[in-house]
Amino acid sequence: MLILQAERDALLKPLLAVTGIVERRHTLPILSNVLIEKKGAEVGFLATDLEIQITTASTDALPGEDFRLTTSAKKLQDILRAIPDKATVTLEQQDGRLTLKAGKSRFNLQTLPAEDFPLLPVNGTSDAAFSLSQRELKRLIAQVQYAMAVQDIRYYLNGLLMQTEGNQVRLISTDGHRLAFSSAEVEANLPKAEVILPRKTVLELYKLLADSDDPINIEVLANQVRFSFGTTVIISKVVDGKFPDYNRVIPLDNDKIFLIERVTFLHALQRAAILANEKFRGVRLVLKPGAMSILCTNSEQEEAEEELEIGYSGGGLEIGFNINYLLDVLTNLPADTLQLAFGDGSRSALFTIPDNSDFKYIVMPMRI
Amino acid sequence: MEDDPGRRRLHFHRSPNPLCTQMPADRKIIHIDCDCFYASIEMRDTPAWRGIPLAVGGRPDSRGVIATCNYEARQFGIHSAMSSRRALTLCPRLLIVPPDMARYREASNRIMQIYGDYTSRIEPLSLDEAYLDVTGQPHCRGSATLMAKAIRDRIRQEIGITASAGIAPNKFLAKVASDWNKPDGQKVILPHEIDAFVAALPVGKVPGIGKVTAERMKRMGILTCGDLRQWSLAELLHQFGRFGERLHRLARGEDEREVSVDRVRKSVSVEETYATDLPDLAACLQALPELLERLRERLGRAGNPPFRGIVCKLKFADFTQTTVEQIGSAFDDAHFAQLMQMGFARGEQPVRLLGVGVKLAEEEATIAAQLPLFD
Repeated sequence: MLILQAERDALLKPLLAVTGIVERRHTLPILSNVLIEKKGAEVGFLATDLEIQITTASTDALPGEDFRLTTSAKKLQDILRAIPDKATVTLEQQDGRLTLKAGKSRFNLQTLPAEDFPLLPVNGTSDAAFSLSQRELKRLIAQVQYAMAVQDIRYYLNGLLMQTEGNQVRLISTDGHRLAFSSAEVEANLPKAEVILPRKTVLELYKLLADSDDPINIEVLANQVRFSFGTTVIISKVVDGKFPDYNRVIPLDNDKIFLIERVTFLHALQRAAILANEKFRGVRLVLKPGAMSILCTNSEQEEAEEELEIGYSGGGLEIGFNINYLLDVLTNLPADTLQLAFGDGSRSALFTIPDNSDFKYIVMPMRI
Repeated sequence: MEDDPGRRRLHFHRSPNPLCTQMPADRKIIHIDCDCFYASIEMRDTPAWRGIPLAVGGRPDSRGVIATCNYEARQFGIHSAMSSRRALTLCPRLLIVPPDMARYREASNRIMQIYGDYTSRIEPLSLDEAYLDVTGQPHCRGSATLMAKAIRDRIRQEIGITASAGIAPNKFLAKVASDWNKPDGQKVILPHEIDAFVAALPVGKVPGIGKVTAERMKRMGILTCGDLRQWSLAELLHQFGRFGERLHRLARGEDEREVSVDRVRKSVSVEETYATDLPDLAACLQALPELLERLRERLGRAGNPPFRGIVCKLKFADFTQTTVEQIGSAFDDAHFAQLMQMGFARGEQPVRLLGVGVKLAEEEATIAAQLPLFD
């Protein structure tokens, strides 16, 4: 029985929006499937890993019968990707099998009953709700997501803290060595609330956000967060844990302060990094009035040295860092100029944007 | 956190040797280890403990396990890795003394020096145990048998304890042979004897075949390596997974592994295959404290090296396995329990083997130290 006819992209685009979270191997076989549901003119796609659930719909009105089925997300995606982009795709369903035809190609796929597909229960009313443009949220996430921990035993660091208070929304991430903070004003009067978004949710959300002024609505529920934008809805569980108090680690009395061109600093570090120790990635910064030197050596005793002119007249300092922690912040910030504030060689450094309190990056040194 | 099929053996990972040199046609490998090393050192230093059942290990009231015991204790069925409490049930007059690693290490250094007088190609396996490749060495007119004898004599004279050795053309056979005339003995397997020796070798003597696998083989009618030879490579692969390939070779007395001199220990771990599969997560968590105690004991023996991560390994009833690891340098039982829970969730079926371990920190890590934001 023919159930759907559509141009390839009308199916592939929404499918790709949901399949990013599908686990390759899962104990529950149906979780490697995508749920496709046609109701009236709309075709919806849904995938989940039981922590995150993404739904989206095709924006084109598509003719055909109403149906619900699940089939392998990966195989369907691979097939649709492999056929020509303007090809017309037809879907037929018979005896629990799905047949996809395009031109002279024909694929017969297994399905599993849609009733068996696990859906995340939606938890009641929201503690806080607000919206901002997709571009703005994307910018905020870009400034902090690189500092999230990866597989840390302190599981609450493997994610991003989202705080709301009044008209402020703050995002904070840390892996215990460095911490990134970004904040923005929204048009709302929000209660004081905070949740930790899992790392996977953050990365998936970031991938799906468009550089557009279209809004995204964010709702903080009991132990879930819901993001709605366009026809897409992401529901994610939140991490149950206590995020460290970031205010405690912001250094307030760093007195060795100067401005630096972000791109100049970035390029100098990138060159020096070629000879940084491959395992420890150490870099030494040597500060003196008027100049900062960047020094890297590797295990073969090779050396790189860069010198940057800076408007600095304070005392001398030599301090070591993991060069990746510096490259991360310089790569991900859109600002032209940064302010750097150092204390001594064993205390954290503070990176900010001049005349802007919406971004902070704190990084601990490395003893080299 | 993917399964890494290359990480089947959780025990001592070794650095790959990129320059695999051509193997000489007939190598001379000695596997040597001291007889109940820790217990022997204790009996040497306290002669009153000779002749009575003696074990070195943890206290029975604190989940301690036996590290080593002497031959008198073994007659009661006591063996290493057994809980001290169980050992005392088997032999109430067993004397359990706490390990004194400093003394063992001192003896170990001197033993390794003796090994070094005969070859530079030494692969230490523990404080007292090592493979020595003596191919082409000039000592004792080139006789590996005489070299093994000489080494054992010197250990007796200079250290005051006994050792046993196996001499064979490869590591597998040398290891099996060193057990043959234990304690205080040695056995040679000459190239022309390999075929008959291996054919008659009970599978339980093959390193890597534990009690559970041996039992399974018995049900398949496999008692000796000779029986094992009747099975094709494909059948063995089907039955035993990747281990099947190695079994196929071992059954023919083949083992091409080199004595690797530059082996770097990258992890320390312990594992246990259970006679009956653990049915659920609760059973796994219940088995955890004993494993952790053994791991602590083994870490202590290695001098409590700094580590950078912890690992849990689970092999399920269907022989699939998974490892879960996390970064961290603290030995916290709760963290292991958490990993075990995550690992179990991947299989949701009975578990036949559990392993716990730590990944050792690279040595240089102490030179460059990243300071933490939060204390």
